[in-house]
Formats: sequence, structure tokens, C-alpha cells
Amino acid sequence: MKRQTLITLAGLIAFALATAATDVIGAPDSPLQSPATPLHPDFALLDASGVNVLESGQSVSTMRTCGQCHDTGFIETHAFHSDLGLRDFAASKESWDASPGLFGRWNPLSYRYLSQVGDERLDLGTAEWLQSNGERVVGGGPATTSRSGVLLTDLQASSEQVETSILDEQGGLTAWDWRESGTMEMNCFLCHLEAPNVLARAVAIRAGDFAKANTATLSGLGIVEESADGWAWNRAAFNEAGELKSEIADIQDPTNANCAACHGEVHPATDEPLLISACDLNYPQTATTGQVVASQRINESGVNLSGKAALNRSWDIHAERQLQCTDCHYALNNPAHVSEAQSNRPAHLRYDPRSLEINEYLRRPDHNFARGQSAQINVAPESKGSMRRCENCHEATISHQNWLPYIGTHMAALACESCHIPKLHAPAIQTYDWTVINPDGSAISDCRGVDGTPNDIKSLVTGYEPVLLNRTNVDGQTLLAPYNLITTFYWVYEDAKGNQRPVRLIDLKSAFLDNGSYAADIIAAFDADHDGQLSRGERVVNSPEKEALVKRKLSALGMAKVRIEGQVQPYSINHNVTRGEYALSDCTDCHNNPSRVTQSMKLAGFAPVMPAFDGANNVSGSGEIKIGVDGALSYSPVPANDSVYVFGSSRVSLIDAFGALAFVGTLFGVLGHGSLRYLASRRRPAHAHTHTQRVHMYDAYRRFWHWLQATSIVILLLTGLIIHRPDIFGIFSFEGVVTLHNILAVILVVNAALSLFYHLATERMREYIPRPYGFFDDSIRQAKYYISGIFKGEPHPFEKRPDDRMNPIQKLTYFGILNVLLPLQIATGALMWGVQKWPEFANAFGGLPILAPFHALVAWLFASFIVGHVYLTTTGATPLEGIRGMVTGYEEVEAHDEKSGQ
Amino acid sequence: MKKPFPAWILGLLGIFLLILAPFAYYQWPKSTNDDPAAHLPIKAVHVDHVDIVKGEFKTGQDVTRACLVCHPDAAAELMRTTHWTWESKAFNVPWREGPVTIGKINQINNFCIGSQGNENKCMSCHAGYGWEAGKQAQQANPENVDCLACHADPGSYGKGVFGNPAEGVDLLAAARSVRATTRENCGKCHFDGGGGNGVKHGDLDESMYFPDQALDVHMGGKHNMQCSACHTTSKHQILGRLIADNYTIDPREQVSCEQCHSGKVHQDERISLHLSAVACQTCHIPAMALEDPTKLTWDWSKAGQQGREDDHFSYLKIKGEFTFDQNVKPEYRWFNGNNEYRYLLGDKISEDGPTYINKPAGSISDASAKIFPFKVHVARQPYDTVNRHLLQPVTSGKDGFWTTFDWNKSFEMAVPITGLAYSGQYDFTETHMYWATTHMVQPAKDALQCDACHSAAGKPGRMDWKALGYAGDPIEWGGRK
Repeated sequence: MKRQTLITLAGLIAFALATAATDVIGAPDSPLQSPATPLHPDFALLDASGVNVLESGQSVSTMRTCGQCHDTGFIETHAFHSDLGLRDFAASKESWDASPGLFGRWNPLSYRYLSQVGDERLDLGTAEWLQSNGERVVGGGPATTSRSGVLLTDLQASSEQVETSILDEQGGLTAWDWRESGTMEMNCFLCHLEAPNVLARAVAIRAGDFAKANTATLSGLGIVEESADGWAWNRAAFNEAGELKSEIADIQDPTNANCAACHGEVHPATDEPLLISACDLNYPQTATTGQVVASQRINESGVNLSGKAALNRSWDIHAERQLQCTDCHYALNNPAHVSEAQSNRPAHLRYDPRSLEINEYLRRPDHNFARGQSAQINVAPESKGSMRRCENCHEATISHQNWLPYIGTHMAALACESCHIPKLHAPAIQTYDWTVINPDGSAISDCRGVDGTPNDIKSLVTGYEPVLLNRTNVDGQTLLAPYNLITTFYWVYEDAKGNQRPVRLIDLKSAFLDNGSYAADIIAAFDADHDGQLSRGERVVNSPEKEALVKRKLSALGMAKVRIEGQVQPYSINHNVTRGEYALSDCTDCHNNPSRVTQSMKLAGFAPVMPAFDGANNVSGSGEIKIGVDGALSYSPVPANDSVYVFGSSRVSLIDAFGALAFVGTLFGVLGHGSLRYLASRRRPAHAHTHTQRVHMYDAYRRFWHWLQATSIVILLLTGLIIHRPDIFGIFSFEGVVTLHNILAVILVVNAALSLFYHLATERMREYIPRPYGFFDDSIRQAKYYISGIFKGEPHPFEKRPDDRMNPIQKLTYFGILNVLLPLQIATGALMWGVQKWPEFANAFGGLPILAPFHALVAWLFASFIVGHVYLTTTGATPLEGIRGMVTGYEEVEAHDEKSGQ
Repeated sequence: MKKPFPAWILGLLGIFLLILAPFAYYQWPKSTNDDPAAHLPIKAVHVDHVDIVKGEFKTGQDVTRACLVCHPDAAAELMRTTHWTWESKAFNVPWREGPVTIGKINQINNFCIGSQGNENKCMSCHAGYGWEAGKQAQQANPENVDCLACHADPGSYGKGVFGNPAEGVDLLAAARSVRATTRENCGKCHFDGGGGNGVKHGDLDESMYFPDQALDVHMGGKHNMQCSACHTTSKHQILGRLIADNYTIDPREQVSCEQCHSGKVHQDERISLHLSAVACQTCHIPAMALEDPTKLTWDWSKAGQQGREDDHFSYLKIKGEFTFDQNVKPEYRWFNGNNEYRYLLGDKISEDGPTYINKPAGSISDASAKIFPFKVHVARQPYDTVNRHLLQPVTSGKDGFWTTFDWNKSFEMAVPITGLAYSGQYDFTETHMYWATTHMVQPAKDALQCDACHSAAGKPGRMDWKALGYAGDPIEWGGRK
């Protein structure tokens, strides 16, 4: 009870200060004051029994008051903000999470665990849950209703039950009488008043005066003040009929500031430099991701930010362009926003004009709000993806048409945020390590994106680049999207019923602390430098001895199977969007090595245990969690595990190794063969030259298509190599190289087709077709020549004639190249190029992850062929005669007289 | 034997052409906006006059005579400009019979009020000598043209009383330093207009002698532009007119951003949509007087108070009480380039609200008008309580107000000079004067962004939409029809 008094006292002081502050801020001609909404009429404030508060002097009942015109019952039952998971609350054998919402899902950052019925140890009873979370709980749902559905005020106070008991400082259980404390109805004022008194409300909630919370929200606004015997309503704020004047209670659509009160940093004013409360769980969205909703330019803010001068963009383009939270997160039946889901709409209808009349909507506004696809909040899956996302408002194909190649491919693989939120310029939580606690009972925590302590103006905020993870949307589409990863470590035990539970904070305090400072045995074990203090760096379980000590102490408190667990949770980043100018737009940001797609993220400076990637969401944690040489833990995405192939970044090393081996093998082969030929010719007596004759071997068209094809193939191989490994060939423009590659591919295909037509039309195709008769014998003769005859200066076994230029092995090789390699390369290349327009064709063959490595493999084989091909041109009458023939058309060939030939 | 030209080289060229032509087609830089800097005038090569100019010069007129030997048309050209006449062409205005002219020579403003009878002081900014001879004689003599004011190095030249060179100026050295005009020449008068640095203009002050790029993207930074880069000059006729000393202005006489910036200047279509209603200056000059403060109010009624300490930025006994401010947000009005009204000597003062010395013309229904940034200078200046017109005192000279601090006497002295009646009864009234803000154009990255003017949350931004004639913020209510 002493604690309660202290809290109340502190609360009163805070309240007084807040009242003074609102007086200053709310000065009558303050430019920030918007004119009263004329739409909302004066209304009577009713208490719980429906009597005007002016008569009864009681607390106001929002359900009764607003229920005079609005269907408050409907609103409360159609509001996830109120329900918070109560409806789905059910104990689970597999998980300690009883619901997906704030009421029932354990959050390792806030740590305290909402105990379930029958738990061995009570951590948070419902009342204390409300006390500690209530500032960000709208009311209604678990604030008025028990898990079984009866009203909390109907429960008998008993220290035996989790819903009616509370854990005291000493670890004992005290009964909680809900009839005395009252409960907290859904608080309409919190979101629909411009400046609700959230501070006074918080004071009431923390003190457990739940019945007072909603009335406290109106205090300090000239409507009501707390008095010794309840509430003193200010008659002057009411009209003659006893109704609250609409100009005093300015009922309005929720503003960004209303949302900000619970969700995170929002900065509506433009002139005052923005300051951020970073890594502060009172601003959860900002704490977990660094997202700040502000229209101000980053360089005009008050943040001590690295490279700030150049950051002349706004924190959030949508805030800058005057969008409000409610423009995207609107009430689902708001007739101004509602549109039939694409999936429900008949194909022949563009627009269905039937929607709610505005008065019907105002009576029963759905308080489930449109929302995106984000991962960390697994709540209300039925409204997931109900929001208009980027692509519903923006025509990305038009805005990117002037520069982005393969628009369709990029859009099918990347969420807009991946490029348009390249960096967060505020710190975000990185690690919460509960395996050791600070003397004040907080976790050992780390923030990313800041050098030093967050919120200290001397600390330089560096910001951080999010990690890209594959997210599966409700429509089944998977896209890479930006995330912050928060890693938590904590002790877990198993209770008598075999339920896994996080070790209670009160038990951790018992184990670690002794009268608010570290216990002697903890200091003895953890104090590495023996100075009698535990510095920040020493507060870590990094040896089996320390782990054993804590385990022993926790076991001594009666807990079984104590162990450390850890998890990595993805927090999705969707705000702080920037316009194209500042977005990632350099191809080699991703098409490179290192690549943004594989960029890793630090998870923790030290890992007492390998954490598991939280799987209870729509995000793929298929990457690797690794401990680096410095002991730091990091997460590296492996896109290939999610069937994502990024040119220039992804590669199959086995194929590259094999290909390189084939290429180098061929190179060494021909070098060896050539050297031997050279040595043999040196040793051979300079006997008479073989008789040669000048033959018109290649007509002009053949030479032209050959050299065009040769040039195309060589440049295709080179550009392909650059696209494959831009990290080695950084001097080339990736975009230019891709364009050149595609152009050459078209030239190659057209050239091959024309050449095919030429050979078919002129019957020269015959030259390429191996004659089956005696083919093997002939091939062996030719092979024997290359193996031995050529070294002895023997003549070629087959005559090279304009109408039959190729030997059997040559024919076989070309047969393979032209019928297998070339078509395969053209087909895989075309499919890869076609991904932007007809991804279904590419996907039928396994998509880029199969096609691209295959294309690379065939390219290696082509490269090897070219080495061999060029070498074999030197086996003519003289080493350069073959090439000369292909250049000039005339070649000196061995004259085979009729007899010596065949 | 002569070798035939090898045909295969042609083939090879053909092959490369076949590959490079489509590559060039796809890779050729997409049409870019033309470079604004390409429109900058090409300056004549400087001719050093040190060896050309011989002395000896006793008076300013001696120098002018020497100049006219080689530049015989220069004086006649200059004498046709307002730098010489201090007077506009004749206008027909609806509130007066017959044509009127406007200028420092015959009208008043709400700074030092008027030059008539104050020539000994005011003419230190006139491009001519010899005002002691009176207006008629001074204006008639081409040798009175002051070449040095604009062409000498200001470090070697300065002006004193009646437009003549200051005592002790070495005229030979000044004459030898002549060159094309620089910011320093123009700035001597235009940065210090109204009697001191930044008094008249919020967008022109001494910080622009050597401006940083962030202060003025044209005059600072890589282009280091001189005034004459935009205020192009032909035969001493300088482009650009002030609405302060005109009634209407032919757009062809005005400097415009389009002289250099044309075509699709914004990539963002949303911004381009603004151009029909918003002047370039509105977004690109987010604030004026960035470094040096500018005078915003001037209360003449407080002048002459005994025992008050003089302070340049708040009070001078001879001038009264002022306020100065720095980094001033402009005020925004519809503006089509003309005045709706220009106070003429003898006009009645406004009986309700302030009297406008000038008032920009334009409204939401005027298609040629755009929202434009202004400095509004608010003064309290003397008027005749019987005749109900503004009074112009004689301030300079031994019997002027600045010496005697006797308002009555200073008004009586002005009667024969201005021809304006004075009843002997005076008081002070509020007057407003508009100054278009067009300099101190800041780098594009510092231009206004959406939330400076638009505010969906209902919080007021820079624009008073209702006053501009909109139903509400056009981001929600739409633009003008």
C-alpha cells in the first residue's frame, strides 16, 4: 500500500505539471489550435447509470455517453484496439502465448508474462497487466471483461485466481477487488479529442483507479477536475440543457497525434525541431524500428545525426504530403474509403456505388482499421491486407518507366519499401538480454543506429539500414521487404504441469539482486576485473560457471529445467518512405557483391545461446544466424533459400567451379597440344612443304555471319561474366552491360536464323550433317591424327573442300553446339529476359534460380568451345592459314591428289 | 604492286556498326533539360584603362568628359534611363486626371519618405553629379553623368553631397579602375537602399557582396553571377523594374526566371502542377534576410525624442523607432507584375485601415497572377490632418528635421518644393509598402516542401488560403478554376 501512495503522489505532481503545461500550450490564440469541428453537436455526459454527471457528480461512462447516438456496443465488438486478443484467448500446450494480441502474447521486450489459469507462479494478473500496459490500452475488452466473458466486476475478489489477484513486492499474492477499482470502458475521448489528458489518465491507470481513467482523460481541459469527494464538473463548460459544449470538447477524427500517443513518434508541427525518444517502449513503433512520422526535413530536426546536413528530405514523404494515419488506416466501413475487395468484386463491375449512408456509418463505425501485411503483430488476421498499400495508390510502372528496367520483375520480387526506405535515421532496439538484469530490474539492452547511449544529445545517431526479408502477403505473393531484427535472450523454466514459462522478473530479481544491488555471489562470479562492481560489459552470461550459478539460484527458488532461450523477431518497416531521388536506384546496390539483398544485420554483441528465428509470422527467416570472430551474432539473408535469384549477387558456386574447370582445362589442353606441335615441328627436318593450293573456301556471306556470330558470342560471354560478377568488373555500368548483352542476344538469334535459312536454302546444310556410313572409323582416323599424325607432319586425313569443309569430329562438335548448346542458351536467355513480361513461362522451368545457373553453365561450355575452336584453326597448312581463309575467303589448303585422298 | 583495299575491313566495320548502333540507341542519354548556365550572357573582355586614362581630373565632370571622348553615346544613353531620371514613363491611373510619373524624383515611399528638398543627401545614390545646380540644370547637362558610380572600383570611389564625388577621392585612380559593373557597384545603392544595409529590400543586402551558395544560388556558388547576368543591359538600358517606382510594368521590361530556366524544370509532376498558380520565387525563396536583418517597421512618430539612446536596429533620434528581423518568412499575395495602386503625392490617406504606398495587383480570378512572396514594410509616417494627405518633410540640411527636430518647420519648408499644401496640423498614420522578393534564390534542396503551405491536419501553414481567395487548402479543396 505504501507503494500505491507513492505512485499516487508522483502522479499528482506529474498531473499538476501537465496541467500547467497544457495551459501554456493551449493558450487561446495559439496557431496550433484548429477550429472546432462544427459537425459534432453538444452532448450530455452520462454516468454508468445513465444520469447526467452534472447531477450525479460521478465518473463519466463513455459507453453510455457516446451510446446516446452511436452504437457503442457495435463499436466495442468491432474494434481490435479494444479486444487486444481477448476473443482468441486460449491456453495452448505448445506455446505460452494464449492469444496473438497484447492481451495474451508474451512480449520479450516488456517481459512481464500475463499468467494463465493454473500457472504455478503468478507473474501478471489481469489487474497488474492493465496497470502496466493500460496507458496504451484503449479500454473495453480485457479492461472490462474477463477471459470467460463475464464482467470483471462480477468476479469475486480472491487471491487464488489470476484474474483477481496481484503479485506484491514480496512475491505474495493479494486479492484484487474489481468492484473497488472499477474497470475501464473503451475510451472514445482518447482518440477523438484533440488534446486528451493522457497523463492524468496514465496516473489513474498506474494507481489501479481504472474507474477514474476515462474521466481523468477530460480533466485539465476545463471540463472536470478531481476533487476530494470525486469529480467537480465545471458547469460553465456545459450549455443550459446540461450538454457539454462542442467547442470545449472538440470531437474530431483521430489525428496523427492521437495515434502517436500509443504507437510511436509523430511530429506534426513543422517549425519546432523534432527530438526523438529512441528505444523507448512508450513509443513502440519508433523503439522497435526507428520509424518516425514527421513532415519535417531530417536536417531541420534536433537529432544529433551523422551526415545530417545533406539529409534535406523529410522524415516521411507521406507526412510531408499531408497524409494522416487515418488516410490509410481508415475504419473498414467508412463510406469515403471503402471499396470492394478486388477478390470479391465481380469481373464485370468496376465500381459498386452501394455503400453505407454517412449517418449509418456514424452510428456504427467499424473500429477495425485497415492495415497492411506487417509481421510482428499477428493480431486480427481478418483485417490484414485490408489497407490500400503503395501499389493501390501509386502507378509504379509509370513512375519508374523512365529508368528502371525489368519493372515487372522488380515489382514481383520487391516490396516498394525495400528501395524507398533505404535507411532509418533513428536508433532502434537491437538486443534485449534478460539473462542478466540491471539493478533497476531492466534488461541489458542495446540499440542499433547510435554511437553511445540513445537519447543522449552527445551520442551520434548513425541510423541503420534494414535487412531485407521475404514476406508472404495474404494474397500469397512473396516480396522482399525491410525489417529490423530484435534479438532477445531470457531464462525459461518448466512448471509442475510441464508448461514452459519465462522466468518471472521477480524471480530474476531474487536471483541477481540483494536489496537493489547485485548479490555477493553474483558479483563474485561476474566481476571479471575484481573492482567490486559489475560494469555494463560484465553483465553477461558468457561462461558455463556463470550460467550454472544463475541456474542454481533459480532452481533454488523452486523452478525446474531452467535454461536460456533466445529469439529473433522481425519488425516490419513501412513508414519513413522517401521519394525516388533518395531511394535505392543504383543497380549495383543489389546486383553486386556485397548486395543489399544479402546484407547482414548485427543481432547482438554476444549470444549466451543461439537464438531461434521467430516463426510465428509471415516472414521467412531462411537466412543464417552466425557468430562472428568477435563473438557478435549476426543474421545473413540467403535469398536462394527463398528461391530469389539476384543477378550479380546470387551464384551457384558448384556450376562456376565446374565451368571454370572446363574452360581452364581446355586452355591447358590446347596449350599442351600446341607446345608439343611446336617442339615436334622443330625436331622434324625441314622437309619439303606439303603441296598446297589456294582455294576459295568461304563466300562473303559465310564470312560475314561467322564473324558477326563470333563477335556476338565473345562479347556476350564477356558481358555475361560482368553481369555475373559485377564485384570484379566494377568499372562497367551494370545497366549498360545488361543492355548490350540483350542487344547482342537479339543479333545472335537473328544472325543464327538467317544463317540457318541460308544453309537450308542452299543445301549447304549437308556439310554439317555427319554421314552415318563409316562415321566412327572416320572419327577415329581424325582423332588419331590429332593425337599423333599432326606431330609427325602427316597430312590431314580429310581434305578441306569448299563443299565439304569439315572433318567428322568437327561435324560432331557443330552438331552438338548448334542443336544442343545454342538452342539451350537462346531458350534460357529468352526465358530470363521474358521474366519481366511472362514470368509464368520462366516459372514453369523453375524460375531464375534454375534458369540463371543453367545459362551460366552453358556459357562456360561456349567459352571452352571457343578456346578449342580458335586453337584448331591453327592446324591448317600454316598456323594462321585458317583464320586468313575466314577473313579473305581464300585459303591455302593441302592438295590431296586423287590417290592419296580417299 | 598496289594491294587492293582489303574488303574484310568493311565487313568488320559493318559488324561493329550492327552491334553499336542499337546499343547507342538504347544507351544514348535521354533528352536532358537544357543547361540554364548556357543562357548566361557572354561578357566582353575587360579592357584595362590604366594606360588609357590620363589626368588630371578636378571634378567628376572632368572624368565624364574624358569618358565621352571614346564613348560618345554613353551619356545620352544613360540619360534616357531611370538611373538618371529617377522617374518612370507616364501612366494613366484611374484615380487621377491626366498622366502621372512615378519615381524617387517626385513621389514618396515609407522609408526616408521623399527626396525633394533633400537632394544633398539622397543624390549620393543618383548616377549623376551637380544637384546643387537644381533639378533642371542638373538633368540637362550630359557631363553630369556619373560614370564612376557604376564602373569604378567602389574601393577607390565614393559619392558625397549633391551627387558629387566625396571629398578626397582620387578621381584619376577611380577613373583608371573602370570596368564592367559588379555586384559591388550595384550593391552600393541597392543593398543599402532606404538609408542602410537591408533597410528597403529583404532580398538584397550587403551579405550578397560575397554570398554563399546557400544564400543565393546564382550569385554564390560556381556561377558567381553578377547582377548584369540577369539584368541584361543594352545601351545602358538595364532590364528589370521595381513595382515600388512604377504603376504597371511591361513583362518585356522585367527579369524572369524563364530567361534561363525553361522546359520541364521539375521532375515531380505534382510540383509542375503548381506552376500555373505559384511563382518560382514562392518556393525557392523560403525566407529572406538570411544573414543580415531587414527593416520591417519604421515609426517616424517616435523621432526626435529627447534622451533616448540611439541604436542602429531599434531607435535613432533622427528617424524614429524600427524593428529589424532576420530569416523573415515572406507574405504571400496574388501578383500579376503590376501595381493595383501606387500612392501619388497629394492622394488622400485611407480612412479605414492602413494607407498603401503601393499594392500589388492580382487576384485568384486573374489568370495572369501567381502567388508571390513579398516583404511588407509597415511605417507610421506624417500626414496633414486637415488636407488628409501624406506629408513629405525636408529632413536634411541645416534647417531640416534631422537638425532641428521640428516637424512643423520641415513640412513648411517642403511646401514650395513639392507644391503640396500643408495646413499646419499633422499626425502620423500607418502605411504599408510591398517589395517583391526575387533575390536570395536558394538551392533547390532548400526550397519549400509541401507541408510549408499545405496542412491537412488543419494547422495553418504559410498560406492564408481564405485570404488568397480559396475555399480552403487546395490540397483538399482543389486549385483555382
